[in-house]
Amino acid sequence: MGFHDGYLSTLVGRSTVIAGDESHSIGKVADFLVKKPDDTFPRIDGIVIKTKDGPRYSPMASVLDVDASGSVVLKELPVGAVIPESEALYLVQDLFDKQIVDVDGRKVVRINDLEIANTGGTLRVVAADIGVSGLLRRLGAGRIAQHLLDRIPNSLIAWDNVAPISDVNPAEVQLSVSGSRLSRLHPSELADIISDLSARDAARVVQSLDDETAADAFEHLDADVQQSIIADLGSDRAADIIEEMDSDDAADLLGELDEDKRSELLAKIEDRAYADELEELVEYAPDTAGGLMTTDYVWIFPHRTTAATIAKIREIAPETEFIYYLYVVDDDRKLLGTISLRTLLLALPTAFIHKLMDTDVVSVSTDTSSEDVASTIARYDLLAVPVLDEHGSVLGIVTVDDAIDAIIPEKIAKSLPRFVRHHAKKPAVATS
Amino acid sequence: MRSIIFVAAVLGPGFITASAGNDVGGIFTYSVAGAQFGYKAIWPLIPIAVALIVVQEMAARMGAVTGKGLAALIREEFGVRIALLTMLGLFFMNTFTTSAEFAGIASASEIYHVSRYVAVPAALVLVFFSVLRVSGSLIERIFVILSLVYVTYIISGVLAKPDWGDVARGSFIPTIDTHNPAYIGTLVALIGTTISPYMQFYLQSAVVEKGTRPSGLLVSRIDVANGSILAIIVAAFMIIANAATIFVFNVHHPSHQITVNQASDVAVALQPLAGKFASELFAFGILNAGLFTAAVLPLSTAYLICEAFGFEAALDRRFHEAPVFFSLFAGGLVIGASLVLIPGAPLLQLSIASQLVQGLLLPLELILMLVIINRARVMGTFRNNRAANVIGWATVIIVGVIALYYTYTQVLTVL
Repeated sequence: MGFHDGYLSTLVGRSTVIAGDESHSIGKVADFLVKKPDDTFPRIDGIVIKTKDGPRYSPMASVLDVDASGSVVLKELPVGAVIPESEALYLVQDLFDKQIVDVDGRKVVRINDLEIANTGGTLRVVAADIGVSGLLRRLGAGRIAQHLLDRIPNSLIAWDNVAPISDVNPAEVQLSVSGSRLSRLHPSELADIISDLSARDAARVVQSLDDETAADAFEHLDADVQQSIIADLGSDRAADIIEEMDSDDAADLLGELDEDKRSELLAKIEDRAYADELEELVEYAPDTAGGLMTTDYVWIFPHRTTAATIAKIREIAPETEFIYYLYVVDDDRKLLGTISLRTLLLALPTAFIHKLMDTDVVSVSTDTSSEDVASTIARYDLLAVPVLDEHGSVLGIVTVDDAIDAIIPEKIAKSLPRFVRHHAKKPAVATS
Repeated sequence: MRSIIFVAAVLGPGFITASAGNDVGGIFTYSVAGAQFGYKAIWPLIPIAVALIVVQEMAARMGAVTGKGLAALIREEFGVRIALLTMLGLFFMNTFTTSAEFAGIASASEIYHVSRYVAVPAALVLVFFSVLRVSGSLIERIFVILSLVYVTYIISGVLAKPDWGDVARGSFIPTIDTHNPAYIGTLVALIGTTISPYMQFYLQSAVVEKGTRPSGLLVSRIDVANGSILAIIVAAFMIIANAATIFVFNVHHPSHQITVNQASDVAVALQPLAGKFASELFAFGILNAGLFTAAVLPLSTAYLICEAFGFEAALDRRFHEAPVFFSLFAGGLVIGASLVLIPGAPLLQLSIASQLVQGLLLPLELILMLVIINRARVMGTFRNNRAANVIGWATVIIVGVIALYYTYTQVLTVL
C-alpha cells in the first residue's frame, strides 16, 4: 500500500473506487475500526464505506492504495456487513472529539485528530492530535491553506501515552490498557485527573484500575468525589478498594457515608479484623488523633533479637506502609518503648530489643486535637506519634504526612501537588 | 432538618439562571411590552413559563446524567464544525448581550447623575476583579442575593397601583393583536429574552459544577421550577408596572405619548406616574441586572468555548496556564463595555438586534438539545419522555416560525 503516514481526518470522506474501474465512485470513507484497541499502537483492521445502499465493511487487506486523485482503491466490492459497535472500536465515532487522559502531560484532553502510520504494510494509530492544527484540519483548512496549517506547531500525544476513558468505548471492548497506563501516574495526579472527569467517566476510570492503584488515588480524592464514585462502582468493588486503603483514609471515607451504606461496605470487607478496626476508627472525630491515626504500624516483642526482628519486618513490610518506627509492646499491647529502623539496622544482630529501645516515649490520646498532634510531631522531630488508650495500649499511630494534611488549610493543600510536581518529576520517573 | 439545608444549598443554579434571563434586555422588553400593549402582554408569559421549565429541566437532566456541559456534548455528538458554529454564534450573541448590559448600567447610572464614562469603566473593573479574585462559593452566594433584588420589580409593580381585575383578565384571556406588526416583534423578543439560549448552557454547566447526580435530580427539578416561576412572576410585574402607568397614561393622553427607547426611560417615566421611590427602585434593578449579567455572560462563554475545544479553563489558574480562557473572558467583557462608550453608538438597535438573534438561535439550540437528550447512548434511561418531547418540539416550531416571520418582515422594512 502506498499510503505512508498522515492524519485520519484527511482520509475520512474520500471517495472509494474498485481497482480496474477507477472512474466510478462506490461511496465515501466513513470510519475505521480496530478490533484490538488494547495494543500499544492499535492496528486498523477495516474500513467502513458509506455507499448509497448503506454502510459497508471492507477489511484492510482489500484496500490496495490511496491513488493520486485521492481516492481509496479497493480490491473488490465491499460486501461485508458492518461489525457491531459492541465488538470493535470505531476510530471516528468513538474517538474523534472525545476526551482522553494524556498520561505524560497528566491532564484530560480532547482528541481533534488521529495520526496513523504504515508500519510494514499495516496501518496503526500512533498518536492523538490535540492541538489547534488538528482542529483546523478537521474544519477543512487543509484544503484552503495547507502551507499555513503546516506552520502551526503540532501537539501530538504518542498513543502509548494515551489512556482512553472507557466511556467512549462499547461495553464489551474493555480497555485494560487505560488502567495500566494510568497507574504510571502519581496517585495525587491520578486523583486530580479523576476529579476533572464527569462522575460517570470517573467511575469508569476507577473501574479500569487495579485495587491498589485505585486505593492510592482514592486517598487523595475529596470526600464528595469519593462518594459519587462509590455509588457508581457497586459495593463489592468499593469494599475491595477500601480494604487496600490506609486505615485512616478508609475510616474518613466511611465516616462520610450514611449508616446503611457504611455497614454494607464493612460487611463486604474480607479481612474481618480490619473491618472491625475500621468500624472503631470511624467513631473518632476527624480532627483528632483518633480520626487521623492508622492502625497499620509494626509492633514487636521486647525479648526478640534484632536479627529476628529484621527478618519479621522483611516479612511484613510489603503490606505495611510505615516501618521506620517499631513499637515495642507487652502481651496486652501496652507500649513499652519505641525503636527506629535506623537503630535496628546499626545494632548487632544478636542484641535484644529491650536493651536498645527508647523507653522515653512521646504519645497522644485519641481525643488530642490535630493541631496538638502536629505540634508534638514537630517539637520532637518525629515521623509518627503513637496513639494510646487510657491503659497505655497502642491503638494506632499518626504519621507526619497525615498530621500535615490535617493542619494545612484545604486551599493550600489542594494547590500543593502542582508545586511538588516540578520537583518530584525526576526522582519519580527514575524509581519507576 | 438536614434535607431542608440540602435543598437550600442546592437552591442555586436554576434560580440564578432564570434570574439571569431577566437582564437589562429583558427589563427593556417586558417594559416595552407593558407600555405598548398593556395588560394583554401578560398572558404569553404562561405558555413561555411552561416551555422555560421544560427546557431548563432538560438542561439540568443532561448535566446530572452525563456530567458534561452542553458545549462538550454538542462537540462529542455533532463534531467540530457544528460545535464551532454554535460557539461562534454564542460568542457574538453573548458579547452583544454583554454590551446591552453595559448600556443598561450606563443609562441607569445617568439617572443617578453619574456619567457613563465613569460608570461603565468602574463597572468593568468591578466585574473583572470580583470574578477573578473572589472565591466561587462566595460569588454564588452574591449571585443568589443579587437574584433576590429582582423582587424590587414586584414592589414597583404594586406601587404603580394597577387595576387587578384588568391584570387577571390580561393574564388568563389570550388575545392576539394581529393588526399591530410590532406585536409579533415583541412576542419574539419576549420569548428570546425569557428563554435565552445562553441560559441552557449556563444552567447545565452549573449543575455539572455542583456535582449533581441523577439521584439528585428531584432537587434540581424543584430548583429549576422555583427559579423559572419566580422569574416569570418578576417579568409579569415589570409588564404590570408599565401597563398601569405608561400604557394607561398613553391611552388617556393621545396627544403626547410617552415612548420607551431604553430600559432607563421606564425609570424616568415611572417617576411622575408611580412616585420617586418606584422610579429609583426600577433604576436600581437595572443596575443590578446589568452588573449581574455582565459578570455571568463573558465568564460562562469563556468556559463553554474552552470546554468544547479542550482548552484549559479555570479561574484559579495563572494567565499563561489558561491563555485562551482568560483572553475570551477579558475580550468579551472589554468589547462589550467599549461598544457602549463609542459616542453615538446605536445602543437601542444593538439591544434589539441581540434580542432578535437570541430568538433566532433558540430553536437551533433546542434542536441540538432535543436530539442529544433522545439518544440512549448518552442519556440511558433518562431520555426525554413523550410530554417533554412534545413541548420541546412545539417550542422549536412555534418560536422558529414566529422568529423567521419577524426576521422576514424586518428584512422587508430595511430593503
